Amino acid sequence: MTKLPPSEFTLRVLAGPTELTVRLAGELDYDTSDDLIETVLEQLAAHSELLDVRLDFTDLTWIDSTGLSVLLMIHRRTSAAGVRLHLDHRPDVLERMLRITNVLDHLTAPVACCAAPAFESDDGDGSEAEVDGATGAGAT
Amino acid sequence: MRCARRVPPFVSASRGSSARPSYADLRVGATWADAPCPVLVVDRHGGLVRINEAARGLLPGAASGDWLHERVPTWLAGAHQRISDGLRSTASGPLVGTIDNRLFEAYPTAGDDGDVVWWLVDDSGRRRAEAALADAQSRSEVLAEVSNALLSTLNVPRCMEVAASMAAEHLAEAAVLVAPPQGRRHPLTFALPGGPVTQVARQIDVSSVPGLAEALQGFPPVPARWINPDDIPDWIVPDGFAGPVGSVIVTPLPGHGVPAGALILLRSSTEQAFTENEEIFARLLASRAGAALSAARLYSEQAAITATLMRELLPPTLRSVHGVEYAGGYRAAREQVRVGGDFYDVHPGADPSQETFVALGDVAGKGLDAAVLTGKIRNTLHALLPLAEDHQQVLNLLNAALFTSHHTRFATLVLASVRRRGGRAHVRLTSAGHLPPLIVRNDGTVEEVPTHGTLVGAVPTVTARTVDAVLEPGETCLLYTDGITEARGGPLGDEFFGERRLRRALSECVGMPAEAIVERVQMLAAQWVGAGRQDDAAALAIRAPKAGPLALVNGHAGGRNSRRDT
Repeated sequence: MTKLPPSEFTLRVLAGPTELTVRLAGELDYDTSDDLIETVLEQLAAHSELLDVRLDFTDLTWIDSTGLSVLLMIHRRTSAAGVRLHLDHRPDVLERMLRITNVLDHLTAPVACCAAPAFESDDGDGSEAEVDGATGAGAT
Repeated sequence: MRCARRVPPFVSASRGSSARPSYADLRVGATWADAPCPVLVVDRHGGLVRINEAARGLLPGAASGDWLHERVPTWLAGAHQRISDGLRSTASGPLVGTIDNRLFEAYPTAGDDGDVVWWLVDDSGRRRAEAALADAQSRSEVLAEVSNALLSTLNVPRCMEVAASMAAEHLAEAAVLVAPPQGRRHPLTFALPGGPVTQVARQIDVSSVPGLAEALQGFPPVPARWINPDDIPDWIVPDGFAGPVGSVIVTPLPGHGVPAGALILLRSSTEQAFTENEEIFARLLASRAGAALSAARLYSEQAAITATLMRELLPPTLRSVHGVEYAGGYRAAREQVRVGGDFYDVHPGADPSQETFVALGDVAGKGLDAAVLTGKIRNTLHALLPLAEDHQQVLNLLNAALFTSHHTRFATLVLASVRRRGGRAHVRLTSAGHLPPLIVRNDGTVEEVPTHGTLVGAVPTVTARTVDAVLEPGETCLLYTDGITEARGGPLGDEFFGERRLRRALSECVGMPAEAIVERVQMLAAQWVGAGRQDDAAALAIRAPKAGPLALVNGHAGGRNSRRDT
């Protein structure tokens, strides 16, 4: 963890038909977490046919508890929308935090175990039902 | 005919010279008669020789042959007199004066025959524009000054003082700032120009001042001319105000969404009444003052909430309990309004045979949200004390109490149940997603306690593994938050203090009392950070004292308890 450059937090969004990839760079913390959740929720609402959301942490340099809290919230929203969350290319700092807090399994579990039943039927209806996905993402 | 009309054959019987061709005619021809500005030709005796169309419009009824001083104000007649007497040169710059409420510059040109041609240039428009510009400049200067003075403080009474005294200084003979009521009473600030500012809280009838009740509700101000000064009650007039009230402005102080109060400006009857421009200026000043005041008010409310919470959330002072030493240290983040998310508590067992329950934790996030959650966790844990024996159950119940659909703010914590048996301290430790506790052995080794569990408050179910540890006399178990290990600083300024340095520091703390260990760990982390950003950091040490097993415990000899088992 030495020589951390004061890297700017950036998000790169690659949206495929059923898969959304958000590539994070920099520090995910108290000051930057809102950007991530807003971006993901926006995409989730815009693409109702999504099946997978991938967060690519290759260039993540730091994450704090607020950052983890946001990952948990993203997971809650993706599960509700019947979308599976993937945490890809986890650097040590994230790996360690997930290990200590014991939430890795929870965050990356297949959707079936956590999805709210109300949304499962929506999911089954097929990707035509755009509204369902959007409501699922927007619901609190 | 044309000529005859313009140059009457006989102008004046009394000053016979006028009939000759004027110097002005010879010099500039007759075109001056059509000049757009008023032109007067005056002979050396002060008689009007000619007068053009524009001048006739300015001086209705004036005609050739009249005396100048009967037709024009003295400033012009006098100037002509001085030129005729040779006291003033025609080249000595323009004269300025008013005729018929308009401002004129008068330029004389003297002829050889002693006649003087006066060219009058109407300057009112430019002067008015200049005056308006100067006025606007001085106002914006005043407004800037007001803003600077107001924004330099976030203290509400001071803000009111500045607003009132500035208003009195620049606009009125007295200014009264009426703040929204606190309880039944309104804080009032009275100011006189250059005089002292007085602040009182009084129960007042806001309806007694025309427009005040409306202003306090944020309605647009009532025009000053609608307010009868006789209706102004005495309480509004500050001591030292000269004479009866002549004119009044009542204007609201617009705040952030809610009115921040009202500003009342008073002038005595001997002074000029407020002009429309001054009313507008008063409103501008009031809006600056209102913005500053409501910012100050918001700030002080927030500061008060923070102070209240801080008092409530301040970690307890620890001491020895039932023969085991406890010491805690808490260092809040430097950012002032951000109440800490770190906490610790020690709940002593009812007697030495009972376990003492210890919790240290860290709430995700910062600020009031984190502080509120911290308070909730501490209260919940306190309520769960009867169940403290079963850490897993405590964590399940705590998780259920914290879990909400609104957010995923979580906490990580370590629970410890401590009891002294023999000289040793038996500690049961459970981490709920928290950094593992460290044990400093007597030989200088530092062990990580392998307890492991899920954070609480964000996921539906949590699991945790409790680990038993035994502290020999002199050995210490340290619970700490990531504020210690993640203190950023060092030689390069951006390196973490880290677990390795913490372990090394602890290995040098063998035999030290609990308090000294906590102090040392905090000091090292603080030094590491230096002037950098500092987060909350908490550390709590549990230590089995070196003293023999028969140490006095709460006034009782503590030896007997070793026989009791759970």
